[in-house]
Amino acid sequence: MSTVEGDEQDLTRKQRREQAREQRRALEEAEAASAQRRRRLIQLGSVIGVVIVIVIVIVAATSGGGSSGVPKTKHEKNENVAAVTSLLAGIPQTAMTLGNPSAPVTMQYFGDLECPVCKEFTLGALPKLIQNEVRAGKLKIEYRNLETATREPETFRTQQIAAMAAGKQRKGWDYMELFYHEQGAEGTGYVTEKYLQELAQQVPGLNLATWTSDRASGQFTNVLTADAQAANNAGFNGTPSFLIGKSGQAGQKYEYSSLTDPAGFEAAIASALKA
Amino acid sequence: MSPRALRISMLVLATIGLADAAYLTYIHYSGIKPFCGTNGGGCEIVQTSVYSELAGVPVALIGLIGYVVIVGSLLAPDTETTRFATVAFTVVGFGFSAYLTYRELFSIHHICEYCVGSAVIVTILMCLAVWRFLRGAPSARGPTSDVATDAAGNPLGAAR
Repeated sequence: MSTVEGDEQDLTRKQRREQAREQRRALEEAEAASAQRRRRLIQLGSVIGVVIVIVIVIVAATSGGGSSGVPKTKHEKNENVAAVTSLLAGIPQTAMTLGNPSAPVTMQYFGDLECPVCKEFTLGALPKLIQNEVRAGKLKIEYRNLETATREPETFRTQQIAAMAAGKQRKGWDYMELFYHEQGAEGTGYVTEKYLQELAQQVPGLNLATWTSDRASGQFTNVLTADAQAANNAGFNGTPSFLIGKSGQAGQKYEYSSLTDPAGFEAAIASALKA
Repeated sequence: MSPRALRISMLVLATIGLADAAYLTYIHYSGIKPFCGTNGGGCEIVQTSVYSELAGVPVALIGLIGYVVIVGSLLAPDTETTRFATVAFTVVGFGFSAYLTYRELFSIHHICEYCVGSAVIVTILMCLAVWRFLRGAPSARGPTSDVATDAAGNPLGAAR
């Protein structure tokens, strides 16, 4: 009996020890598991944190500087005015057409003042074309309106009319060039009345009172309609788009391969001259 | 869902994403000229916008490389490190897609269906990868875990 009792007591003691060990082990496992879970969550959090920082950096880097994107310093603006003035100096302007009115070849440039790709062209191949072709009297360039990048149709009308109103004073190209030079980042809503007024003030010799009344006159509405119609007829679905041809005739659609190298444009102009 | 089924589902998704990104990369290099588009033709407009490249590298190519890396991490032996790698890559992919979708909606104002498709795929992939990473090693769960415990020396088994 006593041996059996002793055995039973031994067993319960043993069982208790085992239970305690088991509990300890379960506790340790649970602790290890929770430590691992914590470690994983920290790793996950770090990855997410790093990615958020990277995305913010990319957004900032691709937003072209400040929220408005408009050149900020007076010095930058003066440099733009100087560049535009020397580029256009002495070249005749009529409405939105640049160049000798009797130039044998006409290029129609369909653009949206807020379109960054138009800016690429205006600051890329265009100055070379003006120097080599327009100044030589071979080419005149007509700037026409096609809404693309501008989000609000009303803003598009207002900004394009601002340029055309300057065109009435033979300074439309000055206004248009300055707009592209100082173009803000797309979709930031930088085109305000203040922005348009400041551009006008930068155009040397522009009569602001006349400019303001011309803008309000409503005389450019049919130009916008005609330009949209012409773009539609040509099948244009983007800007910049070009028609190049003999002056007075319907131009041929020119499909550009580069917006910075004028060679393709020059070849098209040369073939229009021969035609 | 078994670890194997989860991994296979993720591989399938990543492969679809890879094909999507490969197509967009092809489109990018097939020589469409850049322009600002009028309404319509969303994909072409997005693909030719100034935001289609990041530091001169087409974003479609970045996406393609991303999917290759994700597929690679899924094909590698299933360990804590590779599971974490999949999480890291998919989170990066999600962040990048979020940035691109932001640009489509607020800068370009046009949506490219293929880009949206990729964004959806990478979002699902990220959720699955996080789930897979947090639930841990397949050997620490299910019947295999009992075997492991036995192998560690269970005194109860010895008493029987």
